[in-house]
Amino acid sequence: MGAACVAGVGLIPFGKHVERTLVDMGSEAAYRALQDAGIEPSRVGLGVFACAAAPRLLGEVTSGQNIFWEVGINRIPIVNVENACTSGSTGFVLAYNAIAAGQVDVAIVVGAEKLCIPGVGLLNSGETELDTQMGMVTPAGFAMRATRYIHEFGASAAQLASVAVKNRAHAVLNPYAHFREAVTLEEVLSSPTVADPLTRMQCCPMSDGAAAVVLCSQEEARRRRRTVGVKAAILCTGSYDNPADLDRWETDYRGCNQGYEAAGIGPEDLHVVECHDAFTIAEILHYEALGLCGPGEGANLAVRGETRLGGRIPVNVSGGLIGRGHPPGATGLAQVHEIVTQLRGEGGARQVRNAKVGLAHCMGGDKDGDTKSFTAIVLAS
Amino acid sequence: MTREVEWKSAEDEKLPIVMPGILDIPGDGGQPSLLGGSCPSCGVRYFPRPPRCRRCLGPVEESSVGAEGTVYSFTVIRTRAPLGLPEPYAIGYVDLKESGLRVFCLLDPQAVEEFRIGVPVRLAVGALGHNVHGSSCLRPYFMAPAPGPGGVA
Ligand SMILES: [Zn+2]
Repeated sequence: MGAACVAGVGLIPFGKHVERTLVDMGSEAAYRALQDAGIEPSRVGLGVFACAAAPRLLGEVTSGQNIFWEVGINRIPIVNVENACTSGSTGFVLAYNAIAAGQVDVAIVVGAEKLCIPGVGLLNSGETELDTQMGMVTPAGFAMRATRYIHEFGASAAQLASVAVKNRAHAVLNPYAHFREAVTLEEVLSSPTVADPLTRMQCCPMSDGAAAVVLCSQEEARRRRRTVGVKAAILCTGSYDNPADLDRWETDYRGCNQGYEAAGIGPEDLHVVECHDAFTIAEILHYEALGLCGPGEGANLAVRGETRLGGRIPVNVSGGLIGRGHPPGATGLAQVHEIVTQLRGEGGARQVRNAKVGLAHCMGGDKDGDTKSFTAIVLAS
Repeated sequence: MTREVEWKSAEDEKLPIVMPGILDIPGDGGQPSLLGGSCPSCGVRYFPRPPRCRRCLGPVEESSVGAEGTVYSFTVIRTRAPLGLPEPYAIGYVDLKESGLRVFCLLDPQAVEEFRIGVPVRLAVGALGHNVHGSSCLRPYFMAPAPGPGGVA
């Protein structure tokens, strides 16, 4: 592996951008990534636009062609991708594969989302699914993982909540973050309950935003500075096995292992991780699947501060979904943006010292107590 | 902010089931059970019944997957309820005794605070919320056994 590099990244601040359009946000992120890479639009051989929900909410199709034309990209193949919260990182995997296969030298991936639309409620995984008709909503699926986790491993609600305190503290240091204020454990625990035991501050916000990544071949990278190598770009799907173990998440473990295997590394080689902390319990389960600790030890890992900036293995120094915000189409690429920024040593106040190897972990969609989509991207400077 | 459960009794039978083919409701008022499927050639059990076996792609026969089990996990949802469900409402995963399947289902809307991991539960059916077309419908839910002498529901 290692057939492609990241040449440039671009991000716009996440938040509620009621006045901005999907095309406006996406094309600004694309422009920033092209500028960062120093690559002419005419050099791009493939464009992938990723978005989870906005096209359906807005009634738009093929938004990608509109976005790429705003930055002078036309004629080439453009693909529009939807894979729930992994839409952006799925686009990354497609671009990586096209470069690895020698089809193109340069590819651009843009992920954007617009969820802050008046009258739009919680997202679900398809209204024709029985689970949805029986009252399943996304926070509830994770709340049941949390209930089970507390039962099996004796964790406390406060231990789970500590993840939100950490990620909100990180977000204070990130100018792109949706939330810029720190919160206390008491505030997290006393915010309104969404689904027992998860309170509102333990759930990521719905955000608007956009992120973009320009990838290039090894050969192209040799002529450039500030490129970051891609060691692995993994995409896989749930097993949907019954019975599903809610706390030893087979798809999560399997996907993380595939990522490590492809990159030829193990968890001990990582210096920085961005993971899919849609809810506090999710980050704890991902610690375990990533092998940062053993099964059932994730809550303690969080409380001991090992995953905080300055700790043994900092996780979500961008603020994660909980602090940076969560525009699903953009999230997977915002994670790549953060890891690239860290590996370049450009993290400023949130820089992880001597970060050389990083992993971006993302999951999306629910089906039968499992995830629908998993991505792991390993980057190295 | 609480939305009361709307209980209809005599009229209930006329309401549509939230999704066809998921419930066996005996006409004599007997114990309802969840209807799923089982593959005659590889023996895999399913809920709900899929159009074909996901392992061998052969036909799947309709079969009951059970009416009793224990709670594997649960939560009470205290935010705005979808589909006209009560506020708050409870849901959970139940390990079915008969088929070994772990199924996702609503839990008794009149006893949302009563559920714990491991408690035995039994299926019931009632008018609960509305369906995709916006009309009232029947939904299955699991009930904890009534306390008191005997204790068996
Ligand atoms: Zn079969």
